Amino acid sequence: MENSAGISWLNDTEAILRFIKRLIDELPELQDRIEVLEEGDLLFSQGEPLEYMYLILEGNIQLTRTQPDGSEDVLITLGAGSFAGLIAFTTGEPTLTSGRITQKGLMLKMRPQQFEQYLNDHPRLKHPLQQLMLNNMIQRYKSNLRLQTKTHALSKELNKERNELKEAYQQLEATHQMLVHQEKMATLGELVAGFAHEVNNPASALMRAAENLIEIYAEFEDSHYSYQLFRLGLHSAPVNSSTQRQRMHLIEKKYPWIYDRSSVRKLAQMPDEALDLIDKNRKKGELETLINHFEAGKMIHNIRIASRRIANLVKSLKSYSRQDQNKEELADIRDGIQDTILVLSNRLKFIDVTLDLDDIPKTCANIGDLNQVWTNIIVNACDALDDQGELKISTKQREQTIEVKISDSGPGIPADILPKIFEPNFTTKNQGAEFGLGLGLAISHEIIGQAGGSIVARNRESGGAEFTIILPIRDDC
Amino acid sequence: MDHKIYILIVEDELEVLDALVKDLEKFESFFPLETANDTTEAEEVIDYVLDHGHEVGLILCDHVLPGKNGVDLLIELQDNPKTAVSKKVLVTGQAGHEDTIMAINKADLDHYIAKPWTEEELETVVRDQLTDYVIENKGNLLYFMQILDAEKISSAMRNNKMTDH
Repeated sequence: MENSAGISWLNDTEAILRFIKRLIDELPELQDRIEVLEEGDLLFSQGEPLEYMYLILEGNIQLTRTQPDGSEDVLITLGAGSFAGLIAFTTGEPTLTSGRITQKGLMLKMRPQQFEQYLNDHPRLKHPLQQLMLNNMIQRYKSNLRLQTKTHALSKELNKERNELKEAYQQLEATHQMLVHQEKMATLGELVAGFAHEVNNPASALMRAAENLIEIYAEFEDSHYSYQLFRLGLHSAPVNSSTQRQRMHLIEKKYPWIYDRSSVRKLAQMPDEALDLIDKNRKKGELETLINHFEAGKMIHNIRIASRRIANLVKSLKSYSRQDQNKEELADIRDGIQDTILVLSNRLKFIDVTLDLDDIPKTCANIGDLNQVWTNIIVNACDALDDQGELKISTKQREQTIEVKISDSGPGIPADILPKIFEPNFTTKNQGAEFGLGLGLAISHEIIGQAGGSIVARNRESGGAEFTIILPIRDDC
Repeated sequence: MDHKIYILIVEDELEVLDALVKDLEKFESFFPLETANDTTEAEEVIDYVLDHGHEVGLILCDHVLPGKNGVDLLIELQDNPKTAVSKKVLVTGQAGHEDTIMAINKADLDHYIAKPWTEEELETVVRDQLTDYVIENKGNLLYFMQILDAEKISSAMRNNKMTDH
């Protein structure tokens, strides 16, 4: 803005003014047009048609503009040599500003309609007045340019601030979602702890019952064919359907007198050793009873396998969620990777998982948090693979860091979204039932960042996506 | 009887398959059981059964299977005129809401059994489905009365007689 001394004038403004003042002294009809400015007087009001145009000879006039919201902005202070009402005079429209005197002085007051006449009547006045008007116009043009530059700079500044605000908002949003997520994980941890306890009880009962049944059978003598058949059943492994079909054909040929298909199927599941035992002892008991000894062993085998699976799942679920230790500890992050694989075994059922876990030193880490990262990446890979394909996880020590690589044989990450995948709310999944709220990788990014590490994603030349996580090796916890 | 109505069980976990087979053995003297561990094998078994002049009366299918999933298999079988008449039951603990809706709409799913099942539940569903199957597809219903829902079969026989006249 201008200072109170008014616009800085072209060099000859003062000379021109002096000349005009001298002329006024000589011309009495002009002296009538001189008006005294008193400080605080309102010369004209915004929006009103203007009767006069003023040339300030001494003193200052401040131009203000009332904004739509009622506030008043000071636009400019006009000093000696300035015209007030010039635009209204030129366009004939109501004035755009209000003029108030801020420093007393003198001015020459002219009716616009008479202006032309003044100039014609006083040829000596014509040139200096035109010169002054030109000066005014130049000045206003210059100040307009300055304003434009300023506006430009301001809007640039505003834009920058808006972007910063946007970024801050995004960060806030990410933090908020991270907190919600952590809260969820804590709740999950509590749930898992309770669940594990509840499930472990029936699982132990199952396991114990199976072992007790085995002991009951053990009361037979070791050499007794019933016990031998039972033991063979206990250690048999179920065979797949197609193998079983082939074996059923063989059994049908070997025992053409057996018409009962269920018996054929059961015999088809037996190893040759069990069939020999049945052949040898067939006269001692009904075929069905002999088969049932083997079946009993097989059923207990199934109970053992199933209850062991339950126990293992509960164990890794517990260690995966790490309910009890939500802080850093000196740990082998490979344990966390193994737990994650076990917990996700349902998703990984038809995925060929290769673990290439080199020996790495223990490091300070929040294993529960890191498990979240492995989970997010692996679940994304499963989605990309449509639950069928290859997944490779490797660990390596590189100087003072641990490098974990997780790659899949899927279609890779489209190039246009690759730069965005760690942003919050970025998801390729349809909203809804799936795991993803578009937070997985953003949270992973946050977790790895907090651990002082880095995470990057790329597409391998051989195809598929690859995530590389670098974690510093630390022992300060 | 040379011409047989098969029950096909599709399940990839062998222990689970074993348990299903055990619970359905009681039907085997009338309806031989066949098993498959994935959908490709299921299709092969169905082709084999049909090629040998038999029919598939009931298909019990898990949802999460290697390769194609159970619902996709059931939809394909529904689209095939040879197996469209077969009764279709989904036995799973893992099919999501959408998969199940799709199975009902597109595969004309006849029943849904959630794991873990009870022997009684499984037996009832299989008996009901086979009863419906023979009523809809077979002439000699008397033969099945001893193993299936006798009441339903005798009322179907009465109705058949009435329409015959």
